[in-house]
Amino acid sequence: MHRTVRTLFTLLALIALGAAAAQGVTIGVLTPLTGGAAGTGQAQRAGFELALEEINAAGGVLGAPLAIVIEDTQANPAVGLAAFEKLMTEDGVEFIAGGFSSGVTLALVESFRTFQPIVMWIGGAVSGIGIDGFDGIEELIGQEDWFFHVHPWDYHNVEAATAFVADTGSQSVALLHEDSAFGGPGSAGAQALIEGAGLTVPLREAFTSTLLGGTGDFRAAIAKAAATDADLLYWIGYDSDVVPLTSQVRELNYNPQYIFGAPPGWPTEFAAAPEAQCVTGLIGFLPNLPTPEAAAFTTAYQAKFGAEPDNYFSALAYANLWAYADAINAAGTTDQGAVIAELEAGTFRSPIGDWSFEPSVVGKHQGFTTDLWLVFQYQDGVREIVWPIEKATAPLVSCR
Amino acid sequence: MIDPTLVLQALVSGVLAAGLYALVSVGLALAIGVIGIVNFAHGEFFMVGAFFAYQLFVSFGIDPVVSLFLVAPALGLIGALIYASTIRFVLKAPELNQMLLTFGLGIILQNLALLVWGGDPRTISGIAYRSIGFQIGPISVGLVPLASFVISLALVLGLYWMLARTATGRAMRAVAQNRIGAALVGLEVDRVYLVAFALSALLAGIGGVMIAVIQSPTPTIGLAFTLKAFAIVVVAGLGNIRGVLFASLFVAIAESMVATLVPNGDTLRNAVFFAIIFVVLVWRSRRVA
Repeated sequence: MHRTVRTLFTLLALIALGAAAAQGVTIGVLTPLTGGAAGTGQAQRAGFELALEEINAAGGVLGAPLAIVIEDTQANPAVGLAAFEKLMTEDGVEFIAGGFSSGVTLALVESFRTFQPIVMWIGGAVSGIGIDGFDGIEELIGQEDWFFHVHPWDYHNVEAATAFVADTGSQSVALLHEDSAFGGPGSAGAQALIEGAGLTVPLREAFTSTLLGGTGDFRAAIAKAAATDADLLYWIGYDSDVVPLTSQVRELNYNPQYIFGAPPGWPTEFAAAPEAQCVTGLIGFLPNLPTPEAAAFTTAYQAKFGAEPDNYFSALAYANLWAYADAINAAGTTDQGAVIAELEAGTFRSPIGDWSFEPSVVGKHQGFTTDLWLVFQYQDGVREIVWPIEKATAPLVSCR
Repeated sequence: MIDPTLVLQALVSGVLAAGLYALVSVGLALAIGVIGIVNFAHGEFFMVGAFFAYQLFVSFGIDPVVSLFLVAPALGLIGALIYASTIRFVLKAPELNQMLLTFGLGIILQNLALLVWGGDPRTISGIAYRSIGFQIGPISVGLVPLASFVISLALVLGLYWMLARTATGRAMRAVAQNRIGAALVGLEVDRVYLVAFALSALLAGIGGVMIAVIQSPTPTIGLAFTLKAFAIVVVAGLGNIRGVLFASLFVAIAESMVATLVPNGDTLRNAVFFAIIFVVLVWRSRRVA
């Protein structure tokens, strides 16, 4: 009797294991598909879908097709938390990808700790480095074995931006920033680094982004910047702030030598707008990046979606999913320890070039850092890469 | 030391911003004052107007100055359809049901916009006049804010005239005062409501075209302006259409002054209008008591 029951259980266990193997690995993705940051979320989805198609065409993961479950965070902390817990409890995923918004990420920290899946995160850049009394994502979970941060931290962004600003020869910088977990710490870090490079910052002024309830009237902040007559206007905000901010700079007759913006993405049609001329910005990927990886990704993306990948989060999402696929295949199992070891040891493909995880100032696993960033300048409707010089497709021009 | 140029610029910017605020608010005030319904989807009419202007530009190259005359009637028609198919059935229902209905309509419109245009900010790219500013001494007056102020002022004053001098306007005022009395003297109350709701949506549509020029429309763009409109309608007095213009000026100038004179003052704009609502409500309740 006992033997029969044991045999039955063994058979059932084997069937269950077989079913699981046939189902293959599922990665849970958190991204804002709707709401004010939906543009970035949709770009991430495109990157994930392209990578998924290529991974499965190449044989999938552990011999079965890879699957992804995408949950919408709406860039809203409460919605993001519910979406993550759904992935953990209902979908039973062991791997989390995607991510956008430091606010959402900070809200997820405790829940990440509770469930402890492997989290390979391409958004949420806020770190507390250089800010007294503030713990960012890096300080809170950067040292966890299961947390892998792909996107540069905000101080990496600021380091790259500051290096560019210093290279322009500007003497003074007016800093305008949106007032959330994205722009606040970023601008504080920027001010410290810019002043450390010997430049002056006569103004650091906060505004409410149109993404977070602002009406897009930035004239008060711009008028204050104009009153300083700074050589360079440096602003940190969101995609939807680009048009009102740059047009109001012209409208108020503020004519700095350079206008430098650091939103997560830029509106698609902005390149053709007259006020775009000479505006510079930081970006993680551009289709005209002169590398074979970039060209291959752009060609595949255009073939699948009929448009160029103009938001760098699509490139990061693509890199994100491929890293999971390569690490799990190299581990030969979904065992967490084995996959973590492969993620720590591996070098992964991306449209930006090969990359791997290294320690950051506090974190154990940091993917891209300062080296991700390019500075482009809108020149006659085209985003030309102007910095770093070795990747430049055109020289930087002054707005004056 | 406060820079007098900045103060003057803040005053000019505030006055010009009041035009758009008034245009968005007067439609909401019309719905509340005449029909007695708080339309939480008002900002979404505004958003749909912005996307229509964007689409007409992208598909047919129609400048927003021209598309204003296409978008406004289109929104009026959409408003009329929404009234006839949904709003009219809840007019006698509890207020909570009315609010839930309009809130739901807002969510539906937002998600339809997301399906059609996606979540990316959209830009009407080929217009040079968005960045033009006239220098008057040290003060800059933007062409688009000035034009939107003049158009808004003309529309709001035109609405005042219509309400005071035309048969439709008088019918709206009569229905607003006493629905049953108006019906007893032979007014078609339902038709008056339909016209008022369509007019409210039409005005929101015009505001939407203006916002499509000024910034990049997204499906969620309506919310910030709905909040402003509610603040202005509260300051003016619920349903007081005539008070909207002055309330808009008051709110817009107060916001602009705080944004300019206080360090990081732009982030206090929402605090300013909530403070205004608070003070006005407390003052009114004390006056009544």
